[in-house]
Amino acid sequence: MSTLFSQLWSNGGFWIGVLETLYMTAASTLLAYIIGLPLGIVLVITDRDGLTPVTWLNKILSVFVNLIRSFPFIILMVALVPVASFLFHNSVGNGVMIFMLVIASAPFVARMVESSLKEVDKGVIEAARSMGANTFEIITKVYLPEAKPSLIVGAVISTVTILGYSAMSGTIAGGGLGAIATRARNVYADDVIWLCVALTVVVVQVIQEVGMLIARKVDKRRRVSVHRKKTKIK
Amino acid sequence: MIQLIDLCKTYPSPEGEVVALQDVSLTIPDGTIYGIIGLSGAGKSTLVRCINLLERPTSGQVLIDGEDITALPRKKLLELRRSVGMIFQNFNLLEQRTVEANVRFPLELVHMPREETDARVSELLELVGLADKAKSYPSQLSGGQKQRVAIARALATKPKYVLCDEATSALDPATTDAILDLIKDINRKLGVTVVVITHEMRVVESICTHVAVIDNSRIAEEGSVSDVFSFPQSDIAKQLIIPNLIRSLDGGDGTKLRLVFNGEQSDEPIISALAMECRVAVNILYADTKNIDGKTFGHMVITVPAEKSDTVRRYLDEHKVSYREEV
Repeated sequence: MSTLFSQLWSNGGFWIGVLETLYMTAASTLLAYIIGLPLGIVLVITDRDGLTPVTWLNKILSVFVNLIRSFPFIILMVALVPVASFLFHNSVGNGVMIFMLVIASAPFVARMVESSLKEVDKGVIEAARSMGANTFEIITKVYLPEAKPSLIVGAVISTVTILGYSAMSGTIAGGGLGAIATRARNVYADDVIWLCVALTVVVVQVIQEVGMLIARKVDKRRRVSVHRKKTKIK
Repeated sequence: MIQLIDLCKTYPSPEGEVVALQDVSLTIPDGTIYGIIGLSGAGKSTLVRCINLLERPTSGQVLIDGEDITALPRKKLLELRRSVGMIFQNFNLLEQRTVEANVRFPLELVHMPREETDARVSELLELVGLADKAKSYPSQLSGGQKQRVAIARALATKPKYVLCDEATSALDPATTDAILDLIKDINRKLGVTVVVITHEMRVVESICTHVAVIDNSRIAEEGSVSDVFSFPQSDIAKQLIIPNLIRSLDGGDGTKLRLVFNGEQSDEPIISALAMECRVAVNILYADTKNIDGKTFGHMVITVPAEKSDTVRRYLDEHKVSYREEV
């Protein structure tokens, strides 16, 4: 057992690492959705066959989203260091890391939201229009509720992706399991690295399973009737 | 009353403009069930969407109760749509909402108070016979039940008009009949004017009072169902109403007559009587008649020897059977 391992084990360093990772992932995901959700909605409704087509705006947003998404995260991260030091007078720490994660993942979230909303049956949107619903009502009463299961699945995928990014950003800023693993690499403490990997796997599994469970629970299509039939047979 | 005046609709496409509607003028009187029939791609779905401006016509006017709605500001248009209900081929229910929440949807849009809404929703579910399904989700319902929910939802804001876009095309024949009965009922009991878009003859036949036949973006023919069905003028109407008939007309000698039974004749066996009384050999080329409440409806094509044709005509006139000579 390496010195680092016993040190981290005794002072609760691993536990703190897990909590920091969870905190940064949760905060970044939340902020990424605060930007990405409206952005995704705007992408859908300004689309050529959307509710209020604004082709130029749609094009600009789309190019912007693609631009950020085409950066490999590790490069974007390095590129953002000077921006972060300008904004926060600091280039390390959890705040900087969350900033980087949000910038990197908001466009990803926007695309996830966009694809979820586009799954909503066009006919249902048309029905709502025929009843005199305005654009805002269609978004809040049709798009979002009807896409809810898919949005949750998207949120799970986004969270896991952001968690992965957070581990990566641990190499240059902030804490969490990624930072611990980076430290361990420098002193060749392989056992620490492996435990970090194992802990990450556990965290990802929990997020994935709980998220999917919620997505299934809120979905009112099919599942309910299948469930009923089963109980009847018994 | 809904009036469409010189409606045109074209869509841009890479190969130039695609014409969906051309100079369509129609008047849909209040209280009628107005059928618009045509083959796929004839423009009927575009036409019905122009009535509530889900599609904007390229030119022309849509008058609802005398008011040109193409000129309405957006806010007024949204209000107007509440007085025009619409049902669809694929029902278009909100899958994540219960049956009652679906019916509540249009009432939420008009901000109806909760208690009033609850009362209205149960009244509507009662009307369409789904009171026991209030808490179910659409995925638990059959096609026919889904369409009933859609009908209840379309009626929630007490519209004066209901547009049905292929409302029964996704349903089996028995369910189709039940839904058509319901639509007929609504028309009668609530006095709602219904516009029915369909490609199925039997839909028009069983519920409509008026019919317009649309072909190639234009109205080919229009009138009361009994007139258009008895003596369709346009090729497309003939093809839709009497498809086999046209083919069967190719064979046979002598004078070909198409007889139309519209329920005014007595139920005696008229062809046998004709053969015996006029002493003529009648050859039946085609027959499609049905007996409804003891009255005969439908068509029949017969040939009689040319020299006997006058006698036969006289006999048919006496017995109030309408006929046309077909060439």
